[in-house]
Amino acid sequence: MKIAIEELAGCSGCTISVLDLHEQILSLIQQAEIVYSPVIMDVKEPPEGIDIAFVTGAVRNEENQERLKTIRKRSKKLVALGTCACYGGISGLSMLSNSVDIFRCVYQEVETGKAGNPLPQEVPSFLYRTFAVGDIAKVDYYITGCPPKEKYLQTILPALVKGDTVQLSKKSVCSECDRVMGSVDKWHLRRRHEGIPDREHCLLGQGYLCLGSVTFGRCGAACPHHNIPCQGCNGPSLDILREPCRDIFNMMIRRIADLTGIPQKSLEKEMYDVAHVMYPYTIGSLIMEDKEISHIRDLIKEGSSQ
Amino acid sequence: MTQISINPVTRIEGHAQVLIDLDSTGNVQKAHFKVVELRGFEKFLVGAAVEEAPRITPRICGICPTSHHVASAMALDQIYGVEPPPTGKALRELLMLGQYIHSHALHFFMLAAPDYLIGHEASRGERNVLGLVKVNPDLAKKAIEVRKTGQRITEAVGGKPIHPATAVPGGMSHHLDDAHKSALYDMVKGSLAIARDGWAIARELMEKTDITFATITTGFMGLSNQGTFSFQDGSVQVIGADRTAIGSFRGTEYLNYIEEYSEAWSYLKFCRRIGGEYYRVGPLARLNLVNRMGTPSADEALKEYRAKFGEFVQSTLAYNIARYIEFLWACERALQLLGDPIVTGDKTRIAVDTVKNRRGVGIIEAPRGTLIHDYTVSEGGIIEKCNLIVATCQNNYAIDRGVEQIARGVVANGTLTESGTNRIEMAIRAYDPCLSCATHALGQMPLRIQINQNLEECRR
Ligand code: SF4
Ligand code: SF4
Ligand code: SF4
Repeated sequence: MKIAIEELAGCSGCTISVLDLHEQILSLIQQAEIVYSPVIMDVKEPPEGIDIAFVTGAVRNEENQERLKTIRKRSKKLVALGTCACYGGISGLSMLSNSVDIFRCVYQEVETGKAGNPLPQEVPSFLYRTFAVGDIAKVDYYITGCPPKEKYLQTILPALVKGDTVQLSKKSVCSECDRVMGSVDKWHLRRRHEGIPDREHCLLGQGYLCLGSVTFGRCGAACPHHNIPCQGCNGPSLDILREPCRDIFNMMIRRIADLTGIPQKSLEKEMYDVAHVMYPYTIGSLIMEDKEISHIRDLIKEGSSQ
Repeated sequence: MTQISINPVTRIEGHAQVLIDLDSTGNVQKAHFKVVELRGFEKFLVGAAVEEAPRITPRICGICPTSHHVASAMALDQIYGVEPPPTGKALRELLMLGQYIHSHALHFFMLAAPDYLIGHEASRGERNVLGLVKVNPDLAKKAIEVRKTGQRITEAVGGKPIHPATAVPGGMSHHLDDAHKSALYDMVKGSLAIARDGWAIARELMEKTDITFATITTGFMGLSNQGTFSFQDGSVQVIGADRTAIGSFRGTEYLNYIEEYSEAWSYLKFCRRIGGEYYRVGPLARLNLVNRMGTPSADEALKEYRAKFGEFVQSTLAYNIARYIEFLWACERALQLLGDPIVTGDKTRIAVDTVKNRRGVGIIEAPRGTLIHDYTVSEGGIIEKCNLIVATCQNNYAIDRGVEQIARGVVANGTLTESGTNRIEMAIRAYDPCLSCATHALGQMPLRIQINQNLEECRR
């Protein structure tokens, strides 16, 4: 069994999450040979005949696209590992402006930069948008998470290496959360940093935009557990993925409206910074953007015309 | 133009190339460290609700997410006009220690050590941590063990081992209970024993260190708490290449010292001092700036380090040893902190409401060097301007020049052997560069070594 890990536009966190199997990695490498992983070893190109390729990161430039094509050709099974690979991840936020504006900002306009600094030219160009791996290549398995959590990789990876499949929970973050709904009589929207939430009650019920109900689980509701609202880093929940008429924004609004009785229209008006608050991990995904009711298209248009 | 490329240069975080231009005789004309990735966080954070920054910026880098998380939260403390309570501060420190232990252990044992313990002449397939498992399974297990300790600390304090989430304006969202604290204490104790034993390996490497390898003479920059090592307290000290004190800064004063420039051939910006002098950051810089580490084993190790390299060190490969000393310090400091009841206090956080200051600057020493997060926000707490200064940009010039120096030595008659390639990579690896951090990258490309030879010239 030959496995490879390829890095596209991401942060290497997904590769570290594989190293985070810790001592279990020793038994994994007895059953499978890691033949290519640039972060940890010196093999320069993915060889032919890979059994399972794990691809982490999104596709943002021409080079990412080429690498993805190469590794797809050379491997029997391809796994999109992590939220960037599955839904574009944080890199998708770069679509909020065009690349010339990004360059000007980074090299010239920041306070330590200078107006005369040259913009990089002899470097690979950006594609016109961010893509998730599955937008471009055939994906055999998706493992979401930013990055995927140790507990699940401990089950998934040995099974994959043996050629088995495993049944895992497909529920939302809320299903893994131990909080109970409190009173919502005086519900009002709060920014995620405001005040100190109580530890017993649902954060959404307390007024915070916790994305638990619209987010795929398998993190043990790590953030709500630590008194932080869920920011959606595992990507969309299964019902949102499956149902064309469900989207992160509208399901959040619907849920708050059901909970509080506040009309949807007035809730919609209250929402702030929808791009970074609701879509930070999915804005780069074609599937999510293509939903009739998605707000992603408008956010991108607004951003890049500024 | 012929382009011979060796692709990718490996065992570093992120993606880049080395370009070597040859003259007609096959000798090195010039060489550059070229980074081919950019993500543009500074741009796409504009318009963001500022409280999202501590959650978004860790995604700059999966190896040192904590540094971004904490620097960002520190900037937010200022924006909301609060100081975290003592327990909140202690937990942030513990979170950072978890990161130092993991990141430094990763680099020393898993990324750099194969060069020394397995050697340049070994085949590509062997010269890595998996090869280390074969040649020295005991050491590989210990490396796994200590890195695990680091990640467990991060998970317990930060909520997750990668991309922690609990640092908020005003402190930390979660308190550490006694059961977790004791479990961590025991783990750190075990890791400290490994780290102390491991000094023997580091010392051996130190004795063998080629102090002329990829040398460059620069100034240095880094935090120092009145002469004692610290990654969060005190002010940033700036010294010149001849060790003269240039000054020190906090907050927005960094603008009086640092400027950035760019080159058309790289996405990675270069930092230098205003006025043009180059400087370096990271373990080598930090150790050059302090009198003592402040913990017993690390101080002993520092003495030996200074006996070998001197009080003021320019040698590039000394980075690896300096990094080990910091790793040892981090284990010792974590054990001290976990023995202090302050970490299990209940008051982790002070509530914040509206923006008090329109600008906040968080400065911290990330494992790879000084990290600055600078946000300007609207009254409603929406980011209007953002500047991120990361370690690898500050070391970019030194890496670039080191690469050229080694290339001149190892390229002969237009060819580059595999061990020569690895030597060039070692000059880069010494800095433990993090290219995702450095370019807050958008699209990445593996570090590739590329030889450009002008065919036209050859034919003549
Ligand atoms: S999914 Fe998250 S952890 Fe993985 S590469 Fe993307 S940003 Fe990094
Ligand atoms: S919305 Fe958040 S806090 Fe509420 S149950 Fe779901 S995950 Fe838990
Ligand atoms: S709770 Fe939400 S933001 Fe936190 S790890 Fe889980 S999916 Fe990600």
